[in-house]
Amino acid sequence: MDPYSAEGELINIHNHFHQGQYQDVVDFDVSSLSAENALPARVLQLRARVALGQAEDVLADVQGEAGDELAAVAALAAQALGETDKAVAAIEKLAQSAAENATVQVLGGTVLQAAGKSEEALALLGQHQGSLDAVALIVQIHLQQNRNDLAVKEVAAARRWAQDSLLVNLAESWVGLRLGGEKYQQAFYVFEELAQAPATSSVRTLVSQAVAELHLGRTEEAQAALDQALKKEPEHAEAIANLLVLSVITGKSSEELTSSLQKADAEHPLLVDLAEKSDFFDKAATKYKAKVAA
Amino acid sequence: MQASSGMLTKFESKSSRAKGIAFHPKRPWILVSLHSSTIQLWDYRMGTLIDRFEEHDGPVRGVDFHKTQPLFVSGGDDYKIKVWSYQTRRCLFTLNGHLDYVRTVFFHHELPWIVSASDDQTIRIWNWQNRSLLCTMTGHNHYAMCAQFHPKDDLVVSASLDQSVRVWDISGLRKKHSAPTSMSFEEQVSRANANQTDMFGNTDAVVKFVLEGHDRGVNWVAFHPTMPLIVSAGDDRLIKLWRMSETKAWEVDTCRGHFQNASGCLFHPHQDLILSAGEDKTIRVWDLNKRTAVHTVKRENDRFWVIAAHPEINLFAAGHDNGVMVFKLERERPASAVYQNTLFYITKDKCVKSYDFQKNAESPTLLSLKKLGSPWMPPRTVSYNPAERSVLVTSPADGGTYELVNLPRDGSGAIEPAESKRGQGNSAIFVARNRFAVLNTSTQTVDIKDLTNNTTRSFKPPVGTSDIYFGGTGNLLIIAPTAVHLYDIQQKKTTAELAVTGIKYVVWSNDGLYAALLSKHNVTIVTKTLEQVSTLHETIRIKSATWDDAGVLLYSTLNHVKYSLLNGDNGIVRTLDQTVYLVRVKGRNVYCLDRAAKPRILQIDPTEYRFKLALVKRNYEEMLHIIQNSSLVGQSIISYLQKKGYPEIALQFVQDPATRFELAVECGNLEVAVEVAKQLDRPKLWTRLSSEALAHGNHSVVEMCHQKLKNFDKLSFLYLTTGDNAKLSRMAKIAEHRGDFTSRFQNALYLGEVEDRIQMFKEIDLYPLAYMTAKAHGLEEECQSILEATGLTEDQLNLPTFGEPLTPPKPVVPTYQANWPTKATSQSVFEKALLGQVEGLSLEDQPAAANGLGEAEEEGAAARDTLGEAEEDEDVAGWDMGEDIVAEVEEGFVNVESADAAGAGSSEADLWARNSPLAVDHVAGGSFETAMQLLNRQVGAVNFAPLKPRFLEVYQASKTYLPASAGLPPLVNFVRRTVEESDPRKVLPIIPRDLEYLASNELQRGYDSMKTNKLEDGLNIFKGILHSVLINAVGSEGEVAEARKLIASASEYAVAMSIELARRSLGSPDAVSKNPQLNKRSLELSAYFTIPKIEVPHRQLALLNAMSLAGRSKNYNSALSFANRMLANGGASKLLETARKTKAQCERNPHDAVEIEFDQFAEFEICAASHTPIYSGTSYEECAFDGSKYHTKYKGTVCVVCEVCEVGKHGSGLKLFA
Repeated sequence: MDPYSAEGELINIHNHFHQGQYQDVVDFDVSSLSAENALPARVLQLRARVALGQAEDVLADVQGEAGDELAAVAALAAQALGETDKAVAAIEKLAQSAAENATVQVLGGTVLQAAGKSEEALALLGQHQGSLDAVALIVQIHLQQNRNDLAVKEVAAARRWAQDSLLVNLAESWVGLRLGGEKYQQAFYVFEELAQAPATSSVRTLVSQAVAELHLGRTEEAQAALDQALKKEPEHAEAIANLLVLSVITGKSSEELTSSLQKADAEHPLLVDLAEKSDFFDKAATKYKAKVAA
Repeated sequence: MQASSGMLTKFESKSSRAKGIAFHPKRPWILVSLHSSTIQLWDYRMGTLIDRFEEHDGPVRGVDFHKTQPLFVSGGDDYKIKVWSYQTRRCLFTLNGHLDYVRTVFFHHELPWIVSASDDQTIRIWNWQNRSLLCTMTGHNHYAMCAQFHPKDDLVVSASLDQSVRVWDISGLRKKHSAPTSMSFEEQVSRANANQTDMFGNTDAVVKFVLEGHDRGVNWVAFHPTMPLIVSAGDDRLIKLWRMSETKAWEVDTCRGHFQNASGCLFHPHQDLILSAGEDKTIRVWDLNKRTAVHTVKRENDRFWVIAAHPEINLFAAGHDNGVMVFKLERERPASAVYQNTLFYITKDKCVKSYDFQKNAESPTLLSLKKLGSPWMPPRTVSYNPAERSVLVTSPADGGTYELVNLPRDGSGAIEPAESKRGQGNSAIFVARNRFAVLNTSTQTVDIKDLTNNTTRSFKPPVGTSDIYFGGTGNLLIIAPTAVHLYDIQQKKTTAELAVTGIKYVVWSNDGLYAALLSKHNVTIVTKTLEQVSTLHETIRIKSATWDDAGVLLYSTLNHVKYSLLNGDNGIVRTLDQTVYLVRVKGRNVYCLDRAAKPRILQIDPTEYRFKLALVKRNYEEMLHIIQNSSLVGQSIISYLQKKGYPEIALQFVQDPATRFELAVECGNLEVAVEVAKQLDRPKLWTRLSSEALAHGNHSVVEMCHQKLKNFDKLSFLYLTTGDNAKLSRMAKIAEHRGDFTSRFQNALYLGEVEDRIQMFKEIDLYPLAYMTAKAHGLEEECQSILEATGLTEDQLNLPTFGEPLTPPKPVVPTYQANWPTKATSQSVFEKALLGQVEGLSLEDQPAAANGLGEAEEEGAAARDTLGEAEEDEDVAGWDMGEDIVAEVEEGFVNVESADAAGAGSSEADLWARNSPLAVDHVAGGSFETAMQLLNRQVGAVNFAPLKPRFLEVYQASKTYLPASAGLPPLVNFVRRTVEESDPRKVLPIIPRDLEYLASNELQRGYDSMKTNKLEDGLNIFKGILHSVLINAVGSEGEVAEARKLIASASEYAVAMSIELARRSLGSPDAVSKNPQLNKRSLELSAYFTIPKIEVPHRQLALLNAMSLAGRSKNYNSALSFANRMLANGGASKLLETARKTKAQCERNPHDAVEIEFDQFAEFEICAASHTPIYSGTSYEECAFDGSKYHTKYKGTVCVVCEVCEVGKHGSGLKLFA
């Protein structure tokens, strides 16, 4: 039986992970799990710790242990620590030897995509055997490549065999937020359902809900959701970034938020992008000059 | 009584056998005549016995209310018919004539007539106004059991134990009695007694039809309210239906079922149903068209004797051996669900309709649910799923069924559902986008089902679960008889539980944070985690509730709309004349469904609860607003405020001085208290005030109180404690004056004046004490003189030993000069707001503004000159710029062809640039280069540096960051202003600070800075506006014009402000006044400042400025022209007064001392760069964007107003709307 299915042992820990409740994943009681599920559960916990910023501990934890899964986790941790080359090398090796291992696929895909090797990531992930994690990753990669059409196809295919699983819903909502129109509202329902139920609420889901609200033009509601998120975790970079966007939209001053984002994550795409655009502006502006200097 | 679905008992009384029943047509009253000779008047809504009427002798069988008058009639076994007034609670008169038991009595619907049926085999018609017998109808040859008027026609129907039903025509009677000639009473009587045949041989009442069919005596007969139908009930246990035409009448059908004598029957007033009651202890309901039994209600022990229907509303009553029951056949609560601005509801004919709260419009029928459940049972609930646009309807038919149907996308007309999914269940609600929960009370299970009606999970709810409601995302509220459970569907367990009994309905607040649990008589407000917030009790039944957006619960009882705040404060909002079910509150409108399932809007006055809410939330601004704008006064609000601990606010409402004093003392507002105390000047008030002031440490008030009260002792002590020796000695003097020795002694003691004390003792002949005092203070001389005076020697005295003489402490700090540190005064924010209310700022607020500039002038006071005045219609040609830049657009397209990497698609941001010819959309898409190209071509923009913040702002606003898979950067999505659009060729980005925002916020800020004389700030604000409009988009052609207006206005202000700033930068006022050249320039600039087209109140400031400068430099001619312009503009009287004075002064000597370049009669504009005039007729250049004018020599420079465009470079015109 699929351990991730609705009746499986891992459903809850797996859902916690994808709802962004990393601490719940780490705290999950794994002692009662059957033997064959112990390793996947451990991998999930290790991934959660990486997401919580404990990559070094994780690296130390898996050091010297055998198994493709743990090697992949080590690569992920390395990637998180900024050692991209090392991580990519490790994953490329694993991709040769254990490409059919689901954990290797998912973690390898993540590492490769993070390193900007989208094509390789897709190639590795494409070998999956009904892994929703892989599907979700593929969808995200397509979206990052702006291939909305492929993302839509991927979700539709997954929907056929995994009907109403959390990950399919999430992936569909990601696509929905890109497509817009009526899809905004549908995505909003999914995120709101997760964010507002105490059992599934997390900063990530709250931020997602806020993003959906923002796209729907409901700025006050978006503000409320982001405030809720920042109350839970004041340093959450995504929450700050989106709040910054929101405050710009509503015509409020954004300087304070920019600096707090700088503090939370100096490498945030928003800041990087903005700096790039700022230079771009200066360069472009030099092309024009008044005929007569005043 | 056997529980039967669909019949609801509303009221039951216990008494002896009930023989007659009548509903009051308007009030919730029912008359019951009893076998024990009593007539009871019940309020069936409240369940109380209002009155008893006991004058009949023996059983009373018939009773009826008059439709309009406060009357009723009764007939009994004492052969009497009595007419009563229920107002005066007595029998008005008795109609005698029948010779045996009177069985029934009924009023005519319009004439002052009564029809009665009696065991004396006659039916009689009486006039109750002149108390006479009009007509006696004979023909039945056994007891006449029942006789009724036809509701419209001149007909009477009667039933008799002779097994026949007779229909009588009484048109003759009407003709006779509505004859135009008035007849005397005697004549009428003689006529009536003429044995039914008048002078023309006509009878007043003739038998029209005799209906034979019953095999036994007939007990009851009734007309149909609209159709020519008659129903009768007989001892042959049958209910027979008869039809009649003009000429004949015949039996239609028989309803069989009663297994004992049928005693009563009637037609349902609104539906095609017959109701009958019998001695077999049943009430039966029959389908009028099919004559089949619809349902049956059986009572254990009581035979039914009579049944009656309410004429208006869906209520029935039946009398039996032990009293009366009032019941209705079906729930009247229409099933409804609210989603955002739409109400979905099911009409009486089982159609799903929607109602738009914003447009106040009903939709056509969306869907017909005719096939759901039984035809006589309306659906119970409806649950709406906005994601799927489907509804889930439950019906109590067949032990509870539910049906899931999709609403048609654009439905119109009665559409049968194309496909539906149904099943067994008592409650069914949506719990998520694609899940619904079904409760089956008989098996006590809750199934969670998906949209294909497959059960995905199932669990046992707590014991005795009667209903389920939505409980917030992923949760259910499970209603058990004595508790409500919050059930987490995912974890399959109860997460919270609250012990409340008999909950029937749950209403969630709009923000989903609170829910109101309604039971029959209680409202319990809980949080979303099921913590009780407040609860309230109503003696009368609670019907429905809905939440205001601000979090106030409005609920309806049978006859009121009331409100409840979260803290449980409640009150009446309005009364209701009929029961309604609230669905939504918006402002002053309450939307509700009435019992006929029609949406209705009730007007309410929300002031009271808004005020209370503001009070609870301490939202003083709102309160202030309410106080100022509504007539919220009166004792109730004051006592409410006082009770709730807000005396300081109550104080604002009170005029009555006594109450004001109480409140002021309570909130410690001594100022007000003193003021009122002075006004009233009563000792009691001063006493209270003094103790209160003392508690505050405000000793000056205490002093005043004591003075008023002439509390000399207390005053002295107060002066002692405050160390005010001067006043203390004055007190001593006063005491001396009053001859009050005790007081004198005390003051002396306080002052430490020994001599005075001794002197006093001597005065009152207390020499021993005087001596001791002197001795103790070592005043030997004094001792001696006392001894001498008394003729004693020291040896004769037996003295105790003295300690150190006590001296009063010397004041170290003169605390009397100021009050002690007083208790923090409780001048609330609210009061401050009230006091400060005059300082509201607006454009018209000229005095404040004038001060601003006036001060500036004092700073820069110097000799100033006057310039002339010139009025000129500003050329707006600069704004009529090209609408048509097709070529431009195309080029734009070419330019943005993106160079995307292979494999990846182009992002939405790239599409924006492709989709739009507007610079702002290119900016949002990050395509800065093309945006610059567009701007350069449209308005000749060349200097982009000032636009950088705006560029980045627009760019930033259009991207969100969605956290997706762990370990990867967030997904970037693009925020659109076209939210509804999903066609990638039409999507466009959101624009921060759009036109509306600029006009309502930034522009106002700019005005404020002008008023408050912060010109540097103002200049920046207006330039900012120009930059923001330059990179912007609008929604329509009409808004383009608005944008142009905004640009023009901002530009004028920028020019005006920079002129004035230039003048101020000439140097310090002294320096300027000494230097004739600078002085001249200063005067010129001040005159130019009056030229730009700025708002009149602001122009007045500029004029005032120019006028006073000119005046000071003795340029009286110019000053005069400015004064004239000011007077022509009108406005604040203070300014005009100044202008008038100046004018009067200048008219005496209208000459300019300093020659300046300002011709008040010429038309000219100001060059924005050089601040010199451009006279009309001379050539000039202008900025293609903001329209500011320049001398031709500035062509090619950057415009100093917008700082972006090149002067004189004419583009295709700014494009803001595609």
